[in-house]
Amino acid sequence: MKEMDVQGFKALALQCRFELSDEEAQDIKNEFDVLISQMRLLEKIDTNQVEPMVYPFEEPTTFLREDVVENILPVKEVLKNAPKEKNGFFVTQKVVG
Amino acid sequence: MDIKTLIQTTTPKERVNEAYNKAHSVQEKLNAMVSFIDPTEQVNLLDSKSNDLPFYGVPVVLKDLVNMKDTRTTGSSGILDNYISPYDATITRKLRDAGAIIIGKSSCDTFGMGGTNMTAWTGPVANPYDLTRMSGGSSGGSAVLVASGVVPMAIGTDTGDSIRKPASFNQIVGFKPSYGRISRYGVIPYASSLDHVGVFTRNVKDAALSLEVLAGRDDHDMTSSSLPVENYGDMCVGDLKGKRIGIIQNVIDSIHNLETLNQFKDLCQKLESKGAIISSIHLNEDLMHAFLPTYYIIANAEATANHSNLDSLRYGVLKEGQTMDESMILSRTAGFGKLLKKRFVIGSYALFTENQEEVFRKAQKVRRLIVDDVKRVLENVDVIMAPASGQGAPKFDDASIDQLSKEYLIAENYMALANFSGYPSITVPMGMVDGLPVGVNLTAYAHQDAKLLDIAFGIEKTTGISNVIKEVTQ
Repeated sequence: MKEMDVQGFKALALQCRFELSDEEAQDIKNEFDVLISQMRLLEKIDTNQVEPMVYPFEEPTTFLREDVVENILPVKEVLKNAPKEKNGFFVTQKVVG
Repeated sequence: MDIKTLIQTTTPKERVNEAYNKAHSVQEKLNAMVSFIDPTEQVNLLDSKSNDLPFYGVPVVLKDLVNMKDTRTTGSSGILDNYISPYDATITRKLRDAGAIIIGKSSCDTFGMGGTNMTAWTGPVANPYDLTRMSGGSSGGSAVLVASGVVPMAIGTDTGDSIRKPASFNQIVGFKPSYGRISRYGVIPYASSLDHVGVFTRNVKDAALSLEVLAGRDDHDMTSSSLPVENYGDMCVGDLKGKRIGIIQNVIDSIHNLETLNQFKDLCQKLESKGAIISSIHLNEDLMHAFLPTYYIIANAEATANHSNLDSLRYGVLKEGQTMDESMILSRTAGFGKLLKKRFVIGSYALFTENQEEVFRKAQKVRRLIVDDVKRVLENVDVIMAPASGQGAPKFDDASIDQLSKEYLIAENYMALANFSGYPSITVPMGMVDGLPVGVNLTAYAHQDAKLLDIAFGIEKTTGISNVIKEVTQ
C-alpha cells in the first residue's frame, strides 16, 4: 500500500476538487495509521481464484424499456437550482479561449 | 399504538397536527429535523383520496436524502444547503399515493456517511433516552422522531447499519429489506452497491405494512427487484415453533458488557420455550475482522465517485472563483465537512492506480468470501441473530473505544454483512442495559423478507416490547 504524508493527502484532496487545511490533513494522517492497520487485516485473507463482488445480486439486467421519452424534467425546473442561468443554459466562467 | 389503530381512532387532521406540533416541540432538545414541511396542502388533498389507503393521513418523515418535489433536500450537507428538489423520489410518490403526509426531512450524517449523526451540517442529534448521548447514525433524526412518538414511521437508509444500529439505541424497530426490494430512485446515494432504503417503526407489523407500500420494481432504478410484493403484514404470525435461529457466536464472544450478554441469553431461553430451535453458528473469524476495512474501502471508493457530481455549477451552494475549476474547488472545500473530506480522501486513496488491485479489488474479493460465508451458515438456519450493539448509545464525547479491538471490529460492525450480501435484516428491541436500550438483530437469506418479519414478530411477542414512546421532557 502506498505510504502517504500530509502533502500527499493534500494532493489527493485536490484531485477530488477540494482543499484540506493543515489541521484537516494532519488529522487524516494521524487516523491513517489505524486505518492502514485495519486494511492490513485483509492481507491475511487468501483471495486467490476469487472474483471481485461488485453488487449483491449478480443477475444480469435483461430489461429494456420501450424507446419512448418519459419522465422529463422541464428545463425551467432543472434551472431552478442553478446558481446562474441564462437563456435556458447554466452559466459558468469561460472554459475555452 | 400501531398505524392501523392510529387511523381508526383519530382523524387525519388530529394525527398530523399532533405530529407536526410535537416535531417542533422536541426540536430544541433532539435537533432531529433539518426542514419542516407544512402539511396543510397534503392534508387538504386527502379529501380526494380513499380513506382505505394504508397510510391514510398518517404523518411520516423522510431522511434528508430523499427528494420530494419543491422541498429542501440537503443530504444534511453544506454544499446542498439551498437545494430544492425538482422531482419526487419513487418512495415519496408511493408514500403519498398510500395517503401518507410528509411533515419533514430528518437529520442524518452527511450523505448517510457515518454512524453517529455527529456530522450532520445542522449539528448532532440527541438520544431521547439520554440527551447527552448519540442518536446513532446515519439515520439518527428519523430514529429519534419515531422513538419520541412524533411519527409512527420514518424513512431511513442503510449502507453499513445506518437503520439497524440507531434502532437499537432508541428501542424501536429498524428494518432494511433485501437489496433492490425498495427503489432508490431519487434518494441521494452513498455507496450504490451497499445502499438500501428501509424504515423505522415502533412495532414489526408497521414495518411489514410499510414494506407493502414501498416495495416493488421501479424502472428508474435498474437494481430494483421484479419479485412480487407479498402481503408481509398478513404473513407476520409470530409462531416461533420449529423456527431455526442461529446465534452468531463470534459476536457474543466479542461483547464485554455482561448485562447485554445476560439479557441476550434470557431472550434465547424464552425463544426456546416458545419452540424455536436455537443453535450457535460461527462465521470465519478472519473474515469478521475484515468486515470494517472491507466496508470502509468499498463504501468510500463508491462515495468518492458518486459525489464527484457536486460541482455547485448546476446546483448547490456556489463559492465563485476566477475560473470554473477554482469555483468548483472553493465550493466543495466550503460545503464539505471534515469527516466527508476524510472519507473522500480515503476513497480516492483506494482508487489510486497503485492501490486499485491491492486495496479496492482486494476488498471486493473479500466481500465475496464474506457473503459466501454468511450464505453457508444460513443453509442450516432460518435466521442468524446477535445483539445489535454491545451496549447502549455512546456519549457524544466518547472516544474510548479501541478501533482495532475485537469488540469494535466485530460486535459493533458485524451488521454490514447484510449490506455486503443484500440480505434482509431487522433490529427489534431486546431490553434496557445500564438504563439504555439495546436491540437484537436478525438476518435472513436473500428475498426472505416475509420470513424475517414473521420471526421478528415472534421475538417482539416474546419480549413484549413494542409501541414504546420515550417522551422528551421539556
